[in-house]
This record gives sequence, structure tokens and C-alpha cells, in this order.
Amino acid sequence: MEKPQLRVLLVEDNPNDRDLILRELTKGEFEITSEVAQTAEEFRLRVKTNCPDVVLADYNLGQWRGTEALDILREEGLDIPLILVSGVLGDVTAVECIKRGVTDYVLKDSLARLSVALRGALKDKRTREERQRAQESLAQKVEELARSNRDLEQFAYVASHDLQEPLRMVAAYTQLLGDRYRGKLDDQADKYIGYAVDGAARMQSLIQDLLAFSRVGRQQTELKNTDCNVIVSQAIRDLQAAIAESVAVINCEPLPSVQANESQLKQVFQNLIGNAIKFRGPETPVIHVSAQRQDSVWLFTVADNGIGISPEYAENIFTIFTRLHTRTEYPGNGIGLAICKKIIERHGGKIESLPREGGGSIFRFTLPAARIAEGQESG
Amino acid sequence: MTVKTAEILLVDDNPADRDLTIEALSQSLWPSNVSTAIDGADAMTFLRREGKYNKATRPNLVLLDLNLPRKDGRSVLAEMKSNAALRRIPVVIFSTSQAPLDVERCYDLGANSYVSKPSTLQDWMTAVKLLKEFWIGCACLPREEN
Repeated sequence: MEKPQLRVLLVEDNPNDRDLILRELTKGEFEITSEVAQTAEEFRLRVKTNCPDVVLADYNLGQWRGTEALDILREEGLDIPLILVSGVLGDVTAVECIKRGVTDYVLKDSLARLSVALRGALKDKRTREERQRAQESLAQKVEELARSNRDLEQFAYVASHDLQEPLRMVAAYTQLLGDRYRGKLDDQADKYIGYAVDGAARMQSLIQDLLAFSRVGRQQTELKNTDCNVIVSQAIRDLQAAIAESVAVINCEPLPSVQANESQLKQVFQNLIGNAIKFRGPETPVIHVSAQRQDSVWLFTVADNGIGISPEYAENIFTIFTRLHTRTEYPGNGIGLAICKKIIERHGGKIESLPREGGGSIFRFTLPAARIAEGQESG
Repeated sequence: MTVKTAEILLVDDNPADRDLTIEALSQSLWPSNVSTAIDGADAMTFLRREGKYNKATRPNLVLLDLNLPRKDGRSVLAEMKSNAALRRIPVVIFSTSQAPLDVERCYDLGANSYVSKPSTLQDWMTAVKLLKEFWIGCACLPREEN
């Protein structure tokens, strides 16, 4: 079998030692090509132009030291193993050299160890290269994933945007047909037109929701110091009609300020409180909003006494267009929680739902606690 | 009192949208005569009473879509508002676009109002009827220059 090739750069000012080392190398398992450098300048030039597999350097080189060769390798950004081959090297110096990044050292009176040192150095280098490659490929995959996510956002937006106009034609004209010809054709015709009208209307509302969902991803999430007490009261004001109709009671504890996009955070509270009202049980809806500091995050809780969610659906409900009821029981497309999840995750938080003891649901989400907001925490 | 028939120019390349708007306009009590142009160039020919439109009447109101072939609505608006004979004619933009940039650009160019095309039949009918009631039945319009 052919020996593997190995290019060696030898930094040694003593010709006798040079010969000894080279002779030792030819005995080993490698097919050696060697070059010699004596001064630092020569060394820099040779490593740069020829990029050897390994550097063998004497420690004491008269004008300079083998460890300085290490600095040169660093400066040039070269990851080449350097083995010190030295006449004498005290234990303390040896440890110091290894700490500085020398791969190994071999004493000149035990040159037989050289091939072991070489093997070890090359193996180390290969491991480093593999790790480097793995990191690069991971970084590339992350970038690809980010790009494909962006493309998908863009696709959802453009598709839903451009679908609106033709769909509006279908919706308008089927409805016009229905209005104009109801009772003039036959019962079947009325029914069919009714299905077409319903389908078009539902598709319009799905597209509107899809647009709203993809808009969360397209908007720049500009984070500002945001007082959650203000945000929640705005959300409650926007829900006034539903609150009045259901006579819901909303208890809100003092909330912190966080770094957030105001309108998106308002949407989260509005969707969660709105759901708590919508999915109410037979009794008066009572909704509790609170927040607790947990290490580096704020944990927000919206708890209700509504119909609750079976644990098996607890995760599903955050997926876009997931519905747990028929449209006649509860209207809606199943977009609200998907939007909440997207917003919270874009803010660096997490959202989950839990069953509440005694019936109802608890929605919990985290937001990073901002250091600059600390002074106004319980505003 | 006799009510004068209002002349309305409707500029839209989508025949379905044109018909829907004509239908909505006809539901208002104010008598009107609706002419149509199918793109921006056609609209400008009509307004300048050129070619086949040499007998056309100057409209009292223009309903203008934005995304049109050949010459788009923004150019029509800009040309109208920089033309002494046409600049007083109220122009209502009636477009699918709700983009703030489109809305602002049109007002900058001198649009008299901007209505985005509603997505349901009912809202469409209501919007067109309302804007006709306002511009024909309520607003004072400039004297006609013939």
C-alpha cells in the first residue's frame, strides 16, 4: 500500500538536527515532502505559499523561538499543527507551550516518538476541520431555512392578496344571482346558489385571515417599552360590545412594562380575552389577567371559567385554521391563537394553554423582561 | 323642480366590476347617465372629447380605478388635475388597493376621495350608492364649462 503524503515544514537552524529529524521521518508511515525555514520571515513566507500539513519547530532558534512560529500561524489565520522538537524542554516550559497552542512536543533524544506525535496532530486537525465543516453546514441550513420561511411568507401574502379580486367577483355575482333569481328557478337552484354564496363568503374570510396571519411575519417587529396595563385596557375597550353582551367580568392585576410591538401585543390580549368571552360556559364569564416575574421573563396569564379545552387539543389549537367546534356552535376560522403564537414567538416568548382547575382554560405566555423597563414594572 | 341628469364617467378595465358599479349607481334615485372607459388612455380620449368621443359630455363625476392597462389611474388623475379644463371635475378613486402609499399618492395628486372596493356585494352597493348620493345629491359642483 502506498504511504499517505505529508508535507512538513521544518524550522531548525542546526543542520545536523535537521538531518536526524528527516531521517526519522522517512522511517515512519508517511511519504514525506519537506522544506526548511530558519528565520521568522522565511517561515511566514513558506507557510503562506506552501501551506504545509504540519510544522516541526525547534524551541530555541537563536534569533527567535518555536512558539513565535505559533503566533505567525495565528496571524495568518492558518490552522496547521505545530510540534516542538527540542533538545531540552523543562516541564514548566512544555506545559506553557501546550497552553499557548502547541500541539505536542518531542525531545530530540527520543525522536522515535515523532511519528506518534505526527499521527496525533493530524488526527486533531482532521477533527477540528470536521467540526468546522459541520458548523458551516449547520449555519448554511439555518440560512436556507430562514430564506424558505421568508419565501413562504411572501407566497402566502401574494397568493392571498391576488386571490381577493377574482374571488370578490365570484362572491358578488353568485350573491347577485341569488338576490335576483331567488324563487324564480326552482328549489334546487336556490339551494345550489346558496352553497356557492356561502363558500365564496367563507373563502373570503379565510383569505382575510391568512393575510392577517402573514402580515404578522412581514411587519418589522419594532420593539418599544410598552406598558401592558395600557395595552390591556385598549384591548378591553375594543372588546366592549362582546363584554357588554356577555356581561363578562375582567379582573386585571397590575402588569409590567415590556419591550414589545404595541399593536401586536394588543392583538394577543384581545384575541385571548375575546376567546375567553366567546368560549364561555353557562355562567357569567370571569376572566383574570395577571403577570409574574420568573427569572429573565415575565409570565402572563389569562384565565377564564369557560368551556375549557380537552388536553389532547392543547397544542393543536395554536395551528392556523384549527377549530374544535362546528361553525354553527362557534363562528370563526381558527386564526386567533395562531396569530398569538406567531406574535409571541417573534417577541422571543412562548405560549401554551392549560386546563384550569374547576373548569375553564388558562393561557400563559412569556415575554423577555426588559432591563430598562425595570423602574416602571408595576405601573 | 327638474333634476338634471348627472353625467358620470366610470373608468375600470374589469367588466364585472363595471357592471356591478353601474348596477349600484342605478339603485340611487338621482338620475344619472353612466359612460364607461376601459383603460386610462380611453378615459383621457373621452375627457378630451377626441376621436369617437367628440360628442361626449363632460362628466360631473369620475369614478377611477387605479390599476389599468395602457395608462394607469394615477397618470389619468395627474393629467386631469394639471389640465385647466378638467381639474375641477371631482375624481373618486375606486380601487382594490388599500395600500397607504396608493391612498396618499392619490390625495397628493388631487383626488377628491378614495374608496377601496368593498369585498361583499352589499358593501359594494352601499359604497357606490353613498358616494353618488354625496357627489350628485349633496355636494356643490362647479359650473359646467362647455
